[in-house]
Amino acid sequence: MNEKPVIEMIDIVKTFPGVKALNNMSVDLYPGEIHCLVGENGAGKSTLMKVLSGAYRPDSGKIIINGKEYNHMTAALSRELGINIIYQENLLVPWMNIVENIFIGQEITKNGFVDFTSEYKKAKELCDSIHLDLNLNKTVNKLSVAEQQYVKIIKALSTQPRVLIMDEPTSMFNVEDAGKVLEMVEHIAKNGVGVLYISHFLKEVKQIAGRITVIRDGAPIRTYDNSKKDVDLDRVVSDMVGREASMFYEKEFHAIGEKSFEVVDLKITPDGPPVNFFIKKGEILGMFGMVGSGRTEIANAIVGASRKYGGKIIYNGEELKINSPVDSINYRIAYITEDRQHRGLMLNAPIAENLSVVGLQTRIKGAFINIRNIIPLLKGVIEGLQIKMASPMQAAKNLSGGNQQKVVLGKWLFTDSDIFIFDEPTRGIDVNAKSEFYKIMTRLASEGKSILMISSDMPELISMSDRIAVVRKGAITAILEKEDISENSIIRHALEVKKDEKAG
Amino acid sequence: MRKPDDSIALNQRQGRREVFRDQRVLLLVLIVVISVVVGLVNPRFFAVNNLLAIFEAIAVGGVLTMSMAMLLLSGGLDLSIGNIMILAGCTISMLLTGGTMAASYAPESAIQGTEWVKQGVTNVPVAIIIGFAVAIGCGALNGFVVAKSRCTPLIITLGMSSVYYGFALLLTGGQFMSFDMAFEPLRVLKIAQIIPVTLLIFIGLVIFAWMLVNRTKFGRRIVAIGGNEENAFLSGIKVDKYKILTYMMSGIFCGIACILYASRLDSITAGAGTGYELTALSAAIIGGVTFDGGKGTIIGAFLGMVFMGLIANAMNILSIDPYVQVSVSGAIVVTAVVISNLDNIRRR
Repeated sequence: MNEKPVIEMIDIVKTFPGVKALNNMSVDLYPGEIHCLVGENGAGKSTLMKVLSGAYRPDSGKIIINGKEYNHMTAALSRELGINIIYQENLLVPWMNIVENIFIGQEITKNGFVDFTSEYKKAKELCDSIHLDLNLNKTVNKLSVAEQQYVKIIKALSTQPRVLIMDEPTSMFNVEDAGKVLEMVEHIAKNGVGVLYISHFLKEVKQIAGRITVIRDGAPIRTYDNSKKDVDLDRVVSDMVGREASMFYEKEFHAIGEKSFEVVDLKITPDGPPVNFFIKKGEILGMFGMVGSGRTEIANAIVGASRKYGGKIIYNGEELKINSPVDSINYRIAYITEDRQHRGLMLNAPIAENLSVVGLQTRIKGAFINIRNIIPLLKGVIEGLQIKMASPMQAAKNLSGGNQQKVVLGKWLFTDSDIFIFDEPTRGIDVNAKSEFYKIMTRLASEGKSILMISSDMPELISMSDRIAVVRKGAITAILEKEDISENSIIRHALEVKKDEKAG
Repeated sequence: MRKPDDSIALNQRQGRREVFRDQRVLLLVLIVVISVVVGLVNPRFFAVNNLLAIFEAIAVGGVLTMSMAMLLLSGGLDLSIGNIMILAGCTISMLLTGGTMAASYAPESAIQGTEWVKQGVTNVPVAIIIGFAVAIGCGALNGFVVAKSRCTPLIITLGMSSVYYGFALLLTGGQFMSFDMAFEPLRVLKIAQIIPVTLLIFIGLVIFAWMLVNRTKFGRRIVAIGGNEENAFLSGIKVDKYKILTYMMSGIFCGIACILYASRLDSITAGAGTGYELTALSAAIIGGVTFDGGKGTIIGAFLGMVFMGLIANAMNILSIDPYVQVSVSGAIVVTAVVISNLDNIRRR
């Protein structure tokens, strides 16, 4: 690595209202190198990426690319300098085939018409260069998620980038597909492209990185040399969170009562397996499953947001007839959705409106309503959750993720529910907000509420749950008692098939 | 949120800046500026009669604008409101006259003929009730189809608009109909001999719409549906029921618009509703109500309609060629909407 870096970012500062997203951020990248950036959500990784793509203009600092100094990028300049970013979002056109997708906006033409033969040849060459075998004539909607990711990579390579930035390219994949992506990344780097690789998966990072930089609070904490693939991941983790063993939240002990809420033979598809579990008063039942395992579908079926194909919901010995959320709300069941942007909030509406929307059905009587008169009633909820805001009339979209999530929970606290179903309660919120959420959940449990907590966050599940139900393919494969809970046992049950294969 | 205090201060500052970005404020400023300019060019503009005329001219469209704004806020849309109004009007006309054509359009022989006498089927109140029933029924049908089919209301109501137009054609045989001067008293009725009652009805309806949207559970629920339908559903709001009710309420507004229409013009024809829905839509959008739903205000929509009426009146006062006026008013709608969207353009 005696060459000059292709990119050097020096002391970049970028502030947003209330937050310093990048605080003297410095990072460099050499040709042919894989430089991994790791850090918790909100550490500043995506802001850094947007500075490089030209979407954000930094407040100060400089960017040196190929020896030339810039104050900021623009989208066109960034492209011209050979910086290409592969985003998490899928930006492919589903009904076009792979070749067409690769060459959108940069079609190869002959006599004014698109020359598909040349495009195909060029695409084939690109695939070969990273040892990828794909049927290029397939339309994108027929590809698996992993294959679509490959197409995005090829598409990026077709612009002949000098720098490739990848944002969580394997986050949705199983181990095999992820491995394939990693291989591709290594090939790409071997061809001389500098790769800035952002990921949560430390094992992958260790496998491919030349260097690893830990980012926290918008600043680089430490850069590790990983050229021998021998970095100590424990040290990386402790750098990420800033304090040892902070991953696990210490839950206060409280007494757990009688069995109160019970799901009996619930079916979420016509011929699916029956789902059975119960929750005691004051208990937190964790629910784990891979993406697409049917966890959210179970929650939706319980509250009546999607159809039940059989089964019973019982609370305190009484069967609940739930056909829509109207009913589940009457039975005081709260459902805190995982998708706060699309299912949990009116982003343009004031916080007060959001907090009182369930209360419209339950707590607020009479035909007339004046939001200004409701605000005093909301005070308890706002203070209890410590929602940080300018005023209750502020639009929900201007809140941080953690505070938005508190609003989603707050509307259920306003109506006073007995059963809480949390679906990924802390996804995409920062560490402090997380621990505040855990405190709230513990408090609710100690008040005798029954809580179902769906989560894929292992430390969260293990520290918060009294028992854990593991879901796979719409069925509960195990319910682990407190003493049996470990990362290992959870994962083993979630991936049951592999265990069977070994056994067989 | 590392420094919550900072962020709060910033948000407050943003809040203050937002006042000037508020469509309502912008519109008010525009309305005042245009009024002053036009008034300076032609002082006749500020005559009380002219100012009243502006409001009288926008009354029908204004009521429909309230209807459209309410629908947009609930995440809906109805392109058939113009034709619902006309269908209700044709129904009332038929009931009052038994099919007599408007005198000015009737063939001379008919006027001279002896058997061509009034053959009213019912009296005025009954006709009005039935007319309203028709309008509410049309609204209910629109609402039902939109809610249950989950299709986009744009296409559904575009189709329904044709259906209602066809009904009106059938009913009237495509002829100009009259209301037999039944609503003439309403037209001439004035408070303190100057303020027309029709104007008061219009203003009253704006206040009613505002109360409905901002001060009733019904209103808060429909705005919640417009803001995020899935969220409303999960929050226990009976989404389909409220959608249908919103369209029915819109039907009531159409009925009121129809009465105002009948009081202004004693004649009606099946094709007379065309264009009203787009005027209403433009006014609401100029007033800051968005297609996304859940965002916008009744007052904004009202100001949007006033703005459009003002432009039309100003062009008349300034004696601009009527043919040119058509294009100019269209261009103004586009300009106003683009200006209001500058924020979104900048963000990219």
